[in-house]
Amino acid sequence: MQWLRLQKRVPRWALPTLLILFCFGLKCANAQGNYEIQVYGSDTVAPRTTMLELHSNFTVEGSYPAPGFQFTSEGVYPTNDAEHETVEITQGVNSWSEVGFYIFTSARGGDGWQWVGDHIRPRVRAPDSWHWPVGVSLSMEIGYQRPSFSKDTWTMELRPIIDKQIGRWYFTVNPALERSFHGPSVPDGVEFSPDAKFSYDFNKYISGGLEYYAAYGPITGVFSFHNQEQQFFPAIDLNVSPNWEINFGVGIGVTASTDHLIVKGILGRRFDWTHHRAGGSESTQ
Amino acid sequence: MWAQSPADLRLEIAPLKLEIAPGKIVHTVAYNGSVPGPLIRWPEGKPITIDVVNHADVTEIVHWHGLWIPPDQDGAMEEGSPMIAVGQERRYSFTPQPAGFRWYHTHTFAGHDLKRGLYTGQFGCFYIEPKREAGAYDQEIFLTLHDWNAYMGGGGDASMDVFYDYATINARMLGHADPIRVREGQRVLFHVLNASATAMHWLALAGHELTVVGMDGNPAPQQAKVQAIRLAPAERIDLQVEMNRPGVWILGETRAEVRKAGMGIVFEYANQQGEPKWIDPPETLWDYSAFATREAVTVEPDERIPLVFESKFRGHGEFDYWMINGKSFPKTDTIQLKEGKRYRLMMRNKSSDDHPIHLHRHTFEIASLDGKPLSGLRKDVVVVKANSNVEIDFVAANPGATLFHCHQQSHMDLGFMMLFRYV
Repeated sequence: MQWLRLQKRVPRWALPTLLILFCFGLKCANAQGNYEIQVYGSDTVAPRTTMLELHSNFTVEGSYPAPGFQFTSEGVYPTNDAEHETVEITQGVNSWSEVGFYIFTSARGGDGWQWVGDHIRPRVRAPDSWHWPVGVSLSMEIGYQRPSFSKDTWTMELRPIIDKQIGRWYFTVNPALERSFHGPSVPDGVEFSPDAKFSYDFNKYISGGLEYYAAYGPITGVFSFHNQEQQFFPAIDLNVSPNWEINFGVGIGVTASTDHLIVKGILGRRFDWTHHRAGGSESTQ
Repeated sequence: MWAQSPADLRLEIAPLKLEIAPGKIVHTVAYNGSVPGPLIRWPEGKPITIDVVNHADVTEIVHWHGLWIPPDQDGAMEEGSPMIAVGQERRYSFTPQPAGFRWYHTHTFAGHDLKRGLYTGQFGCFYIEPKREAGAYDQEIFLTLHDWNAYMGGGGDASMDVFYDYATINARMLGHADPIRVREGQRVLFHVLNASATAMHWLALAGHELTVVGMDGNPAPQQAKVQAIRLAPAERIDLQVEMNRPGVWILGETRAEVRKAGMGIVFEYANQQGEPKWIDPPETLWDYSAFATREAVTVEPDERIPLVFESKFRGHGEFDYWMINGKSFPKTDTIQLKEGKRYRLMMRNKSSDDHPIHLHRHTFEIASLDGKPLSGLRKDVVVVKANSNVEIDFVAANPGATLFHCHQQSHMDLGFMMLFRYV
């Protein structure tokens, strides 16, 4: 199971720099699963602003332990009936970049609540002043996960993000590339794990759509469909306030290698450290 | 025939490559090849004729903002002023009044084309000289604020809004205009106009207090000292400043990112040198009541007219539609008035945006802000903040169709307009 993460926007040198870094080798886990299930949009968190998100995912029907064992046949904790709680803290650096930090945890009957791993994710985007017709950003995520949760312990991911909002419709695609530094997937090299989402604004507060998460395997030779991960999440977003982010979805895995049923929720709170709404009508500050 | 006699002034509307800083060129449209257009100074009560020639690639019109003139001369097609076709010219003929700081600008539709209408450089200052000039000053300086290279942005939790690449004072970015030169001990009178299509601006003169002496060209009942001023689109302010702190300073936007985008101008005392300095002003709250009499208007209105402002969501990737009393222009109700009657507009803004509301061809008096009574402050643009109530009084003393609208271009284009009519 891959690390699923999907969210919403770089001086001109930044994109090529990240691409070069990527060429020296990466992967963000064709490993364990479903800790942060979110398709990224291109926007970044504003400077002097912190976004705190809690990703809560429950696997209704996932992997089972091997008969007579605590772990699956792959030697990791099973996902069936597992509750995954991930804390994501993202700090806006400037108007075109941010840094995110993840704390992954898992709770399952008999296994207790365990720390799974941590990731760090810098991200840059094409600034508004470039006036590109679509939003574009690029994130690079690197991190560690314990071997009891993922045999690929050190992974890296490069995630291009292209999105567009047209009236009530929103589209985003994340053709992510992943690489393992330590674990059984190292020989596979770079793997392709695209995610995508489209949604429709029913009104100012409720948007609904479909999210797609996949892991096709190595770019030099994709897996058979049976061995690929393919997952669809009908999902809604609640836009109750600029300071809150609420997402809820139910995921259905359609291949044998995918957890078959997952319920996910994201609750995010934005903290604006500026004193007042900049340029607002009441105050200079 | 008018064409046989030369007009007092001629304005030519034409495309312009405007250099706002070395190498930074904005492609826009302007009057007489300059931004702002020529300063018109004209004695109150003396008739004027102005020929306007349209060399732009769309029909145009010029609105004489804040003047009490007939609707067919006012420069709003919704009131009946004719548009000026491409390649054609039109003569405006009226008697400028009331005295004070007015302005003129295009009044065309822009919609999603953020290179039209007020997004362009089609604006200029119009100073109607009073028969008796009030106040004493050593220098008089006109400043115009404007934002350039507009684009749609935002999305996320809200609808689209307008953002800009550059901001200027008198069409130059900070550090790229001749400094304003003053001498210690001088009293300088500023006439400041926010000619931005949509953006509200805050200004301060580093290290100096500003005395507000007039708003929208009308004397302020209370001349209060402030550290910074707020100007919504189309608002004007008259300021007196004592030059009592020698140095080289910046007069600019209080927000660093907007100054960085260009909104500022250097202020240089005689015999002073060095890098221009900026000092953040202390936090300043803006409240019209500081410049008004804090007592209720003594004259009761003949009629009260409730007006509710709301938005209609059209997607996070689109501008909202705007409604007055549930309807968007041109479907808004036209309200019939009677000449000589005094009306109170009871405005309730139920949206989450601030709206600079403009009433054409009349001057109004602010009667209350969120229930707090005021009097004496006369304007032609008032900001009705998000989720707030503002009441204004005016006398129907200038018959004809009268346009009432939000002065944010993106709002008026998408329904935020209505008409009053009386004969």
